[in-house]
Amino acid sequence: MTITALTRPDTTAEPAPGDSPARTHRARRQPSRMRVERRRSLTGWAFLAPAALLIAWLNFWPMIQAFVLSLKTGKGARLNFAEPLWSNYARLLKDDLFRTTLGNTAIYLVIQVPIMLIMALILATILNSKHLRWKSLWRTAIFLPCAVSLVSYSLVFRTLFATDGFVNDVLMGMHLTDHAINWLGQPGTARFVIILGLLWRWTGYNMVFYLAALQNLDYSTFEAARIDGAGPVKTFFYVTVPQLKPMIVLTAIMSTNGTLQLFDESYNLTGGGPANASMSMSHYLYRIAFQNNPNVGYASALSYAILIMVAILALLQMKVGDKRD
Amino acid sequence: MRSSWKIAAIGLVTATAMALSACGGSTQPSSGHDTAVTGDSLTVWAWDPTFNVYAMKEAGKVYQKDHPNFTLNVVEVPWEDVQTKLATYAQSGQLDELPDIFLMQNNAFQKNATNYPQLFTALTDAGVDYTQYSPSVVNYSTVDGVHYGVPFDNGAAIAAYRTDVLKEAGYTLQDFTDITWSDFMTKATDVLAKTGKPMLSGLSKSVDLIMMMVISAGGSLFTEDGKPVLVDNEILGKAVAQYQQMVKAGVFLEVNGWDQYVNGFVNDGVLGVINGCWILGSVQTATNQEGDWGLTNLPKLDGVSSATNYSTNGGSSWAISSKANFGLAADFLKATFAGSTELYDTILPSSGALANWIPAGKSSVYEKPQSFFGGQPIYSTIVDFSTKVPKFTPGAYLYEAIDALSVAVTKTLSGGDAKAALQEAQDAVEFAQQ
Repeated sequence: MTITALTRPDTTAEPAPGDSPARTHRARRQPSRMRVERRRSLTGWAFLAPAALLIAWLNFWPMIQAFVLSLKTGKGARLNFAEPLWSNYARLLKDDLFRTTLGNTAIYLVIQVPIMLIMALILATILNSKHLRWKSLWRTAIFLPCAVSLVSYSLVFRTLFATDGFVNDVLMGMHLTDHAINWLGQPGTARFVIILGLLWRWTGYNMVFYLAALQNLDYSTFEAARIDGAGPVKTFFYVTVPQLKPMIVLTAIMSTNGTLQLFDESYNLTGGGPANASMSMSHYLYRIAFQNNPNVGYASALSYAILIMVAILALLQMKVGDKRD
Repeated sequence: MRSSWKIAAIGLVTATAMALSACGGSTQPSSGHDTAVTGDSLTVWAWDPTFNVYAMKEAGKVYQKDHPNFTLNVVEVPWEDVQTKLATYAQSGQLDELPDIFLMQNNAFQKNATNYPQLFTALTDAGVDYTQYSPSVVNYSTVDGVHYGVPFDNGAAIAAYRTDVLKEAGYTLQDFTDITWSDFMTKATDVLAKTGKPMLSGLSKSVDLIMMMVISAGGSLFTEDGKPVLVDNEILGKAVAQYQQMVKAGVFLEVNGWDQYVNGFVNDGVLGVINGCWILGSVQTATNQEGDWGLTNLPKLDGVSSATNYSTNGGSSWAISSKANFGLAADFLKATFAGSTELYDTILPSSGALANWIPAGKSSVYEKPQSFFGGQPIYSTIVDFSTKVPKFTPGAYLYEAIDALSVAVTKTLSGGDAKAALQEAQDAVEFAQQ
């Protein structure tokens, strides 16, 4: 593969437009604006093409294939088009477990994303203050969780919140509870642990985006606010937040996207339990496609359902973001 | 300008070449196989370096004695990855990537062999004598009467208890042998009152104990033709009720993780285990408890005519892939796992890998008294247990049924109605089968 790729360009590169000696000669003598522009735009396309081709091949082509797959049913690898075609999508509506996982994911989304973004915004504002000492230490400390792999932090959280784990030891040591709490064994607390994990892992990540945006803001706007008599709270709501709006929309879309595709925490931290009460949609998808009797068509339909939800929510957030202008 | 064109063109061509070369890779599954012994190397997938990987390597050494040119490449692949890889290869048709031989969990064998027959080769012509295995073991890897696997490790269920603590509470191992579950309840409750310790423990989301009870009474979660029966299943109903009674009485401790489970009986928190005999490897890590353990059979379900004191949990079988060098792979398995007492005598003491192959169980190594278990010859006892296990048909949808059952048990334990929960589980399995 590599060898053909390296030897071929000599033959393909030679006849490229504008490279024949006669033409080049004439073009140099009478530079025509059209020709130069056409040449420039072609050069641009040529540079774009490799990446575009790779994206089309590695991203869009599988997406099209997945869509075709989502219209098929069958056992194992012997798949045929479903009758009617949309039956996998109709099946989603009848699937109790899908509804449970959708509900779980919605809970994570509604609770975790707003808390995380608000915390990130507050932390970024504090870190942006000119009077704070040891700024880079705090910044690194808050961003550090992002450097931890999803699987390893999930396993650490599982150990921390075991019945005989660190958290229970601390709580019992401080006499806040008289018996060990079965964190991962009850629906409410299991979801709480997942949300806590997500907050720990992703707040710093979003904070860095806000911090970068804040550092690009003109400091005179804050000074002007202070001269006009605005306190820190008013400055935050009327000066900082409106100027950060594009970044807030971006982080909201990214977080929504990420939470809807939540997998590692559900799989590694709680295993989806107890009684599927903390299982995310992607975890259910994995189970359908790989762990149980494979139903790849149905799993693809589920992945398209997630895609549509992400698209709708992103669109909504962009619209909401637009309106405030 | 010229050089930038060249770079762009190189990039474009590289991308095209990669895209094109990726498109032409699909292959057709091979049909038919050659039984002649050719070639001299095999690749194998197994997952446990101290257990099945080790056993396979020893098998390679045994085979090398008669075949000096033979080389064996054992690749350690975790079970979860084996399952994912097999599904991916089968879906994409990239069967070239398969090893010659792979190990498969007995419970997952039917599922994979029915969904992905293109991954397996039938062992009809392999020359393995299946009469030298117990039918309940062979049953796991048999689909429509055709054998697809050579049984490897024994999943016969055992009960092991701390005889020293039982003695303090006034009981002997004999009091827990050949009993029913209601006897067990009475005695275990008494032990709990006297010592403050539960007799058994298990993972909260696993239904292993319930499944062992069901199998011990000859029950199943499916009818002969594969329909799920979770509701109106007398044996299952009794097993679930028995399990819940034990959890509520505190004689069975539910834990959340495997390490917590092992910690329980290793560090005096729990007085016994009921599980597949492979758990004994973990039990024996508590070297300070040498001589304090005793091994016996399981309690049996009350009021069920087919109930026995014997069951099974886990176990695995070797399968030959469709891309294998079939002649060599079959000859290798026949000469080792299905024909070498020497191999089983080697791997038993060092890894605790118990043979399913009945002739191996008659070897003197199996008769040796084990000081950890107070001098009991536990290995020959377990081989004897394994021949008495009722036949169990797992069915292709066993994993779905176990998941659904686990949800139902969790819901019932937190106060839900048992009948409604089982009905929900039944619906869930039926939905998965649609």
